[in-house]
Amino acid sequence: MAADAAAGSAVARPQIRVEGVAKSYSGRTVVDVDELVLGDSPIEGLIGPNGAGKTTLMRMIVHAVPLDRGRITLQSPAEPDLLLSAMPTDRIARHGVVKSNQLITDFDRLTILDSLLFAVTEAEREKPYRIFSERAVFARHREEIERLLDYFGLVDATAFAKSAGEKKLLDIIRCLILKPRFLLLDEPTAGLPDDITEKVMHTLRELAAAGTTVVIVAHDLNVIWNLCDEVVFMAEGKALLRGDPQSIREHRTIVEKYLGEGHV
Amino acid sequence: MNLDWLDAFLVFGLFEVVMVIGLALLLHLQLGLARIANFGVVGFWGLGMYAFGVSYVRVDWPFGEPWQFLVCALIATGVAALAGLLVGWYVADLDTDGVLVGTLGFATAVAILATTQQELTGGALGMGGLGFPYDIGTVKANEFLWLVITTLLVAAILFFVWRVHRSPYGRLLIAVGANEPLARSLGKSTFRAKIGLFVVTSAAMGLLGAMFGVMVRFLDVLNLGVDITLAAIVGLVLGGTARVWGAVIGVVLTVGLFDIVVQVYLPLPREWHTQAIPVLREALFGLALIVVLLFRPLGVLGKMRRDRLMKKVHGR
Repeated sequence: MAADAAAGSAVARPQIRVEGVAKSYSGRTVVDVDELVLGDSPIEGLIGPNGAGKTTLMRMIVHAVPLDRGRITLQSPAEPDLLLSAMPTDRIARHGVVKSNQLITDFDRLTILDSLLFAVTEAEREKPYRIFSERAVFARHREEIERLLDYFGLVDATAFAKSAGEKKLLDIIRCLILKPRFLLLDEPTAGLPDDITEKVMHTLRELAAAGTTVVIVAHDLNVIWNLCDEVVFMAEGKALLRGDPQSIREHRTIVEKYLGEGHV
Repeated sequence: MNLDWLDAFLVFGLFEVVMVIGLALLLHLQLGLARIANFGVVGFWGLGMYAFGVSYVRVDWPFGEPWQFLVCALIATGVAALAGLLVGWYVADLDTDGVLVGTLGFATAVAILATTQQELTGGALGMGGLGFPYDIGTVKANEFLWLVITTLLVAAILFFVWRVHRSPYGRLLIAVGANEPLARSLGKSTFRAKIGLFVVTSAAMGLLGAMFGVMVRFLDVLNLGVDITLAAIVGLVLGGTARVWGAVIGVVLTVGLFDIVVQVYLPLPREWHTQAIPVLREALFGLALIVVLLFRPLGVLGKMRRDRLMKKVHGR
């Protein structure tokens, strides 16, 4: 742990500092960020054309993709800084930095209830000698699981998530139930019906108001404009511009290179 | 106890069935839940058998039975658990091919060590001097009681595996097997889970090896071939890797059918038992594996039914 801790920080809410970070595949640079702070505002958006490096950067933050160089740090109020780029993915998640997946992903043999119970079960109850602890785990988390499933309309908890939309929603609920300090969402509303998208956005606003920092990557720009307090524009692996949604959507270069004339 | 009605071959055949069921149940946790293809079952089992034999025969213990057996069985379990820790550490981050080669290599190393370390193990000449931790009269009676004790041990393993399916630990193993990166992203140390699984299952495999050592009372390196691993894998795959009872049904249909029905009840020429039958057994098991994988890849019992289980456990 000593290696993880750097100097203490005095930030108001959890922030992630990305410094000198780069990633290349077969000689092609996909991420090359000199300095970027995520979490200045409660909800931030990350936009840019395909191949801009948004998803790779998100995956680098949770160390699902190793860095070629640079460092990524989590800074939280009244806590020492944590060097995320030196930690394995599971430890990053245990420190409260959680990420949803861009592509549809699920545990193919676990039911919806299984999946959520798995996310919330404490490591101590997952030991081989704790083979009688299932009911206690369920009793402890039942109310919260049922509240989330009811809210998002997943009626049959003991069934498997079948459609791509259900799996996507389950991925988001899994993240929410972990009560993250810093939530990274990659295309969270892709494939979801409008009413569920609204509910997801409402939940994210509540989460941010309660102190969680939320960063969203989305091609659905309505989500970005309606939800985010600040937006970062990425292209060719670099974080080029930062500003409030209004200034970003009216920026000349972004309109020309990404949004196109006549965008909403 | 009058056991005249009991055929000595039948006792040994039943013992082998029970022991392989135990190994297949442990393999079910690895392959069926966590999807770790351990092809070195015989390595952990054999290491337990030889650790037991060496400590039982070569050490001059200051106490008699049953303490000598209990201490040596504990040593066998501990040595196998330690091997599980090291092998698990080595293979935890490897892909399926790597795990397969790594565990197979471990089993080969155990067989080579048992053959070459003659002073300890007796090498190819074998090692005698083992015995039951009790004496209730005849050899047959002792063997029968040992069969009962081993059956109780395997029943305990079955109960443990059955409970694992209904516990957060089982869910962790299934999640590791189904989608390891996703499990890690939810804060689960899949590396630790795999190593823990290897330690627990290897320890139990080692204990079963010690039980076998007592039953045969003579350790032979020929036991460290592919037979045991093949029997456990074929039985499990035939019964259904993902189901608790798959190991039991599959082993009864393979080892039970062959080692008991064919060897005990079919009137085969005596010389076949030493020459043809062992070869025929491996060939038939291999064939059974091919047929099952071709026509019923999920085994007799089919796929895992978590939806039914969750309904039953949580009443939803």
